[in-house]
This record gives sequence, C-alpha cells and structure tokens, in this order.
Amino acid sequence: MTEQTDNNLDRRQLLARAGKAGISIAAAGLISYRLYDKQGPGAGVNTESLVTLPDFRVPHKHGQTMSVVKGPDRKVTVNKALELLDGIERFVKPDETVVIKPNVAFASSPMLGATAHPELVAEVVRLCYKAGAEQVIVTDNPINDPSSCFTLSGIGKAADQAGARVVLPKEHLFRHTTLDGGKLIKNWPVFFGPFENVDKLIGISPVKHHARAGASMAMKNWYGLLGGRRNVFHQDINTIIAELAMMVKPTLVILDGTEVMMTNGPTGGSVSDLKRTNTLVVSTDMVSADSCGCTLLGLKVSDLPYLTKAEKAGAGATDYESLKPVFGTV
Amino acid sequence: MASVRRQPRRLESAVSICLLVLLLLIGLVIFMKQFDVDMSRFGIDTTPLNLPVQQIEAEIQEPVLEALTPDGFKKFSEVETYNTGNLYEKINGKAPLYIEAGFAKLFTQRFIHESDENLWMELFVFDMTAIRNAFSVYSVQKRADTRTLSFAGPGPCYRTSNGVHFVHGKYYVELIGSTESTVMDEAMIRIAEKFASQTAVDDEKITEFALFPEEDIIQDSFKLYLANAFGFEGFTDIFACRYNISDESITAFLSKYPDTQNAQTTAEKYCNFLIENDAVAKVANNAVLKNGNVKVLDFYGTTEIIFSTGPFVAGIHEAENQTAAEELAARLLAKLSKTAKIE
Repeated sequence: MTEQTDNNLDRRQLLARAGKAGISIAAAGLISYRLYDKQGPGAGVNTESLVTLPDFRVPHKHGQTMSVVKGPDRKVTVNKALELLDGIERFVKPDETVVIKPNVAFASSPMLGATAHPELVAEVVRLCYKAGAEQVIVTDNPINDPSSCFTLSGIGKAADQAGARVVLPKEHLFRHTTLDGGKLIKNWPVFFGPFENVDKLIGISPVKHHARAGASMAMKNWYGLLGGRRNVFHQDINTIIAELAMMVKPTLVILDGTEVMMTNGPTGGSVSDLKRTNTLVVSTDMVSADSCGCTLLGLKVSDLPYLTKAEKAGAGATDYESLKPVFGTV
Repeated sequence: MASVRRQPRRLESAVSICLLVLLLLIGLVIFMKQFDVDMSRFGIDTTPLNLPVQQIEAEIQEPVLEALTPDGFKKFSEVETYNTGNLYEKINGKAPLYIEAGFAKLFTQRFIHESDENLWMELFVFDMTAIRNAFSVYSVQKRADTRTLSFAGPGPCYRTSNGVHFVHGKYYVELIGSTESTVMDEAMIRIAEKFASQTAVDDEKITEFALFPEEDIIQDSFKLYLANAFGFEGFTDIFACRYNISDESITAFLSKYPDTQNAQTTAEKYCNFLIENDAVAKVANNAVLKNGNVKVLDFYGTTEIIFSTGPFVAGIHEAENQTAAEELAARLLAKLSKTAKIE
C-alpha cells in the first residue's frame, strides 16, 4: 500500500529540501544585496568614478579683482575692462586651452537679451587667441535642442568665425560629481567633457531678471553645466546657485549689463523687457560681479539670498566695493 | 510501507503559479520604480502641485499650428509639445509661473521668411486649461510699453515692437519675432487672426472686470494674481487694475470669496500680515471709510486700504496719495456693497 502524504519524509529528503530552501533564501539575499543601491536614485555611480571640476583661478592681485566699464559697445567695453585688470595676458597664457561658457540657454534671437551676446563671445575668443591660446572652446548645455540654441542665438556662428571650437552636449560628455559639503549636488551628472585637459575657464552671461531666482547673472550661468532633471533644483534655487558658485572656480566671469532684461526673465521675449544700462563687469570673483550686477536690475544683495549663501560658503564677497573695483568709461 | 512522492494537487499548482506571477509583478514594479528619481532625499518637495484645474493631457487637442503659416513664410521647425514634466526644457526658470497657474501643454513652432533668413518668429501656444489661468499669465507678464492691437480674436491682446501676445479662451498665445520689422508685424497679426478664427474655445467670460468702478479706470490694466498676491500667501484670485485719479496712478484690487465670513477672515489676515511687516494703522479722512470694517494703513510711506463687504475682499495697494486712494476705495466699496446686496 502506498500513502500519498509528506508526513513520512526520510532524513535524506528532509535535509535535501531544507538545503534547497536555504540556498534559495541565500541566493535571493545575495542578489538583493548586490542590487541594493546605498546611494539611492540619481546616483548609480560609485564614488571612485566621481569627477571634480578643476580650479581654473589665477593668483589674486590686490585691487585688480574686478573692473566695471560703462559704454554702449560690448567689444570696446570688454577690451577696456580686461585692460583695467592687467590685460587678457594675465588670465590666458600662450599654448593654453580655454573654455568659454556663455549663457546659451534658449533658441532666442540675440536682440532679446536672453542669451550671451554673440559679438561679446566672439571678441573674447579673439582676445584669448591674441594672448596665445592654443585652442578656445565655446560650450554650453541648453536642454532643449542645443543646436537650435547655438544657431538662433548667433553664438555658434560668431564663435566659429572667431576660430573657436563649438562643443554641443552629448551624453558621453557627462560625468557624475559630488560637491564637498553640498546639499544638492550629490552624485549628479555634470557637463564635464569640455573641461577635461583645459587650462582656463571664462563665463559670459547677460544680466537678467529671473522669475524664480530674482536674477540670472554670472553664478546662475553655471546652471547650464548640470545634467539630469535639473529643473527639480528650481525648488531650492538659492541653494543650487550657491552650490554652483562653490563647484565652479572660473578664471574670470564677464557680466554683460549693456542691455539688461528687467522683466519677464529668464526668457524675456520682447525688447520692451530690456533696458540699456551700458555696463560691463569683468571679475575674478563672481559673487562680487553678481552683487554689482544686481544693482542694474534695481536689486540689493539682500534681495538675492543666493549671494549671501555663496559668500558664507567662501565663494566670494558680496561687498564688491571693498575689492576696490576699477571703473572706466569708453 | 513504501512511500511515494505525492503529486501536487491542481489547486496547489494554481496557487503556486499565482504567487510566482505576483512575485514577478512586484519585481517588475520595483525595477520600474528605480527610474523614478525621488528628489525628496535632497530635501526637495516633490509633492505634485495642486493645480486650480486638472485636465487629463490625453484630452487636450493639439491646435494645428502648421496651417497658420503666413504667406511669404515657411515652417522653420516641427511642432514641439511640452507638458508640466518638461516645460522647463523650453522656458527654464519661467516654467513654475505657468505650472502654478494651471498649465497643461505648450505647443510651439517657428516660421521663417522665404527669402530673408534673419526674419523668423516663434509661436507659443500655452494651453492653460481655463480662461482665468490664461489671462493670469498674460496679465502678469504684460509689458509696460505696448501698442494696441485689434484683430478678430475676442480676448485681451497687445503687441510690442517684435511680438504679439493674446488670450483666446483657455489659450495664452505669444508670437515672438527675431527682430523688429513691419513684415514680421503683419505676418504675426495674420497668424493671430487665423488662430483665433480657427481654434474653437469655450465661451467663458471673466466677470470680475465688471465689478470695478468704471470712472478713471486705465483700460487694459487688469491683472489677475492666482496666488500669493502682494506677497501674502492667503491672497488668491486677486484682480487688480490701475486708475488715474488726480494725476496719480492708483491700484485697486478685489477678490470674491465663497462667503462673507471667509472674506472677513481673509481681510483681517491680510491686514495683520501688513502690520507684521511694519505697516501702521492710520485714520481715514473720507467719511465713507470711517467704519470698523475698513482699515487704512501706512506702509513705508504708501497707503494701503483693505476692507470686506459681502463675499468680497478689496482695497487699494501701495498708493502714493492717501486722498486719491481713499476716494477710489470709497467708490469701490460702494459698487461692491451694491453688488453684494443684489447677490
């Protein structure tokens, strides 16, 4: 007689079953352990492959941190502003590679002031070559259709004609970074490729009203380096701008207040949004540049919390007058 | 007694298969969830915005933009479509302004002149889900230096030296030219006319405009703040417009609340908000305003007046001239009180 029950397992069968169950549990645990991402979403990269943007700054020179030049012609004002800081040769040496990061955030006509002015970008490229630069790269990471942004803003053509190499964002040019002491920039993709093996970095940005941040100037310009779903940072815009100022250490920044977008920024859309203020700031301290630039928008340092945050983090000084800026008119 | 391994029963097999399928489903959900980045770990609030009007995106009909191409121009890009999730890709930091006002979708297309590549324009059609939302984003962005524009569209509209801006039903539409040119001007107006005539919209109206006194009003100066008007979180759906009284530009505002009690509470809260921010109560000179329900405040040298009547909260915002401000407040109070009684 046979009995169809499991009640009479012999020891061998029991051990075999227990062994199989144990192996299954161990395998599931091992797989879960291997798949578990301690860094959480957005990371996916181990800390060993994280990159850090190089420090592109030049030695400090007392009384030559910042120049402010009044004049209607960007080519003339930028030349004068650099001359007042000891010339472009102080910043760019022969055979160096220079990256210029203009604000090319939108596929917008240069007339509207939403992007860096192509004439200014071209002039800075020319000056870099004049100083002996071996190569000048012009790059930015507009999320929406980068080639249209470079084409319609006029920056692509202007940079190309001035001899620069225009680099558009490609997936392989992004690497992950973590900012030491940062709250938001943790294991986050940045547009790193164009900055590898580069000697100097120059930021060029217009002075604009910004619906979320209050103003978009030199520090906010680095937002373009962020990859991923960077819009989430708009919810904590002051912190992210301050962290960008900590993350990026440029050689100098050029803040173009020749025509300022007073309203409806950062996109604008009408020449009615612009006001001619004929001011151009060049500075090795971007917090100071922005602290000066915000006055063109009728704002005070206290109106833009990111300025104080950046100052507290050691990124620069909000009291730009204490740096004894050199003023000029052309 | 020989033991024979029991064959699993059919029910046991079925249960086992169900459990395996369930485990697979759980695994699949976990796998998919990994691609949904949780930004709350950065301390960023990812709570979905409480939009005034929710609309299922699939229900939104795409306006036919290519058919709007004006004579002498050709399309310069394909139609691009954006939703709340990717609007920032197109307009970056201005996206929250639209999303918080009920934005559902944006359709854009560029057109370029057939023989002059410097003449191009971009058409932005924002589906704001309701006319109030569309009017709000239109009004808060309206440029000061504008030119009048009249075309077949029924909604508010204006033009600048390089653009045309208007509201058509639930749509807020912008046409932005690459440069200032009469050729572009005419082409943009043709597009606006075509859009308004070819795009069917609900016959919604904004009734609050008629609640303002007409005398001395500056036409087309209406604004609608859907939230946080004048920096006060409790102020929602605030309509404001400007008046010219005794050569002074004065801003009046009003909002309709669900009931009298709600309006009174909001007025009191706004008054307290101003006082907490260093406003100081002062005496009204106008006899009509000398009742306990009307508050007159000095706010850094400007006059703020706030009152409620029936379901309405209203007042005057940052007036330089107290006498003119009180005169307008009295007119506004009279008109709203009359309306409240009728209602």
